[in-house]
Amino acid sequence: MNDIPATAPAAKRFVLEDVANALNLGLIVVDADGKVLLWNNWIARHSGIKETDALNRQFEQVFQEPVSPSFLTALKNTLAYRLPVVLSTALHRTPLPLYNAFEKNQRQARMYQSITITPIQSQLNESCCLIQVTDSSTSIKREKILRSHSEILKKEATTDGLTNICNRRFFDAHYEITVADAKRQKYPLSVFMIDIDFFKSYNDHYGHIAGDKIIKLVAETLKSQLSRATDIIARYGGEEFVLIMPHLNQQIAEQFAEKLKSAVFNLAIPHISSLHSERITISIGLCTGIPKKNHSMLNQADTALYQAKQKGRNQYISLPLCETEEYLEQ
Amino acid sequence: MNQLNELHIDALVEIFSIGAGRAALSLSEIVSDEVRISVPSVQVISTKNINSTSLSLSCGPFGAVTQHFSGPFNAETVLLFNEEQALKIVSDMMGSQMSLGELAQFEHEAMCELGNIILNACLSAMADVLNFTLESSLPHYTVASADEILHRLKKNANQPYVLVLHIDLAIEKRSTAGNLVFLLSSTSLTNLVHHIDHFLSNFA
Amino acid sequence: MFADSSIKKLLIVDDSKVSRMLIRTHILAQHPDWIISEAISGEEAITLVDNDLPDYCTMDINMPGIPGTDAAERILAKHPSIKIVIFSANIQEAHHKRARSLGTILVAKPVTEKSIVLAINYFIDSE
Repeated sequence: MNDIPATAPAAKRFVLEDVANALNLGLIVVDADGKVLLWNNWIARHSGIKETDALNRQFEQVFQEPVSPSFLTALKNTLAYRLPVVLSTALHRTPLPLYNAFEKNQRQARMYQSITITPIQSQLNESCCLIQVTDSSTSIKREKILRSHSEILKKEATTDGLTNICNRRFFDAHYEITVADAKRQKYPLSVFMIDIDFFKSYNDHYGHIAGDKIIKLVAETLKSQLSRATDIIARYGGEEFVLIMPHLNQQIAEQFAEKLKSAVFNLAIPHISSLHSERITISIGLCTGIPKKNHSMLNQADTALYQAKQKGRNQYISLPLCETEEYLEQ
Repeated sequence: MNQLNELHIDALVEIFSIGAGRAALSLSEIVSDEVRISVPSVQVISTKNINSTSLSLSCGPFGAVTQHFSGPFNAETVLLFNEEQALKIVSDMMGSQMSLGELAQFEHEAMCELGNIILNACLSAMADVLNFTLESSLPHYTVASADEILHRLKKNANQPYVLVLHIDLAIEKRSTAGNLVFLLSSTSLTNLVHHIDHFLSNFA
Repeated sequence: MFADSSIKKLLIVDDSKVSRMLIRTHILAQHPDWIISEAISGEEAITLVDNDLPDYCTMDINMPGIPGTDAAERILAKHPSIKIVIFSANIQEAHHKRARSLGTILVAKPVTEKSIVLAINYFIDSE
């Protein structure tokens, strides 16, 4: 040992076994017959099988539990074709019976593993395979926690809590996609901005809980008028809704606006402090057209809604996408 | 490219179809469902003539799995898929609990494996039929835009030829198409042709 | 019925010229007197079989037009005496099953001496 010079290369300075056993990953070498030639400490620790019980034995028989068929196929392929193989955590999860801890009388779940198998020649010219195993468990656990949170968030992210229809956030994203699509394929969209008339005074008179009930009821009523999967209704603001419907011409869209208005009118929900009629009504601003650059359908529908309010409420106003102002009296 | 005639191309299509069949078998064992992979066409293009059409690089970004093969010829091989589609396939393969956008690192590793299975199957079919031995580096996964890919393909003057295979892949009712690109030096292309000629001479 | 050395007619169906060449060469190496015809698609095979009935047939699966398994099914419906071997790169269990249910077998490509011997044994043993 004393004749090793200070300038010795790594191969002379260190013994393979010491390095292999110090690694924080699993290392197994098998020969062309599937016999184990190397079995490092990490593998011994996480399989519960000592090196002495593994060396020179058939790989499959060393483990007391079955090894996954995909792993065995991968190993066979590497031995035959001499090409490196990856076994990803996501697709294989736990190919080898390895565990993070062995607790007495307790069945632990197998460790999630990330494995590569590469061909390697021994100094005796044997065609062998080097199996490297790393532990992906901690990342998976962290991701699992994140995932269950994000699943909850996702649902919250797209649905309005009170009415159970889509929320503003969802609508904004959906609107962008739909407009882009309609622009590209040149088909018309109809955007309806809908507002419950004199809602603030309803809240003031009947209370907020009743107000919430009205919002829910109006949302349900509006939604029940829709029949196509492409028609999306969302809660845009407090008492404001937005509806987007593709492939309708202006006339049909206006007929539909009339239908929505009547549906809410016919609910006959008393609203004493309404300055229009003594029941809950809605105003609708409608814009129909093929989306164009620099023309916002939402803005135009909003303008139409404003006009509907100005003209006395419980009505719809329809504006085309472009500059010319044409609108129908209710 | 004049070195590869119709019969050479036919032989390559047949060889890669065998590779595709093997890859499909491996993948079907992982997903326990039928997998369809086919290689409808093979082309040799000189690197300076490559553009986005020859590689069907319409809508990026792209997931690229790269392996470097060496042996009687050296080739950097790149399997290219539209990233979003490929991630959807991989996410289907992982099972319904994990969705797109989550577990990005695991999706990348799974893409690596998907690419590795296809590349290994195609190259080992070549090695089997044409009777030679190949070595390879481990697969490496990156995401790149069409421009970045074209730039990478064209920058190396030592690899004036590109062998492009079109691949159709259908797993779990989701189908996508991609390209397998071999970057070859002139010597490599000549060696490849030589091996194909040798193989064909037994059957003329 | 017939001795092994009797002259048989074999139809090779494959869209790959190289594949047809391989199969032809390997078959003739074992049985130089067999008469070999070729078709490049399932449809062509169906027509050829109607005009000149072969004893045996090798069929690829992936071809332009109808898949080889469908062609095999149609041929066997009209001519149940033909022995068909599906020679293919598609070797998943689903394909093996389909081949067996048609009364054929599936042999994996690449076409080698070994796989051709498997096919020939199937042809001859079933008589």
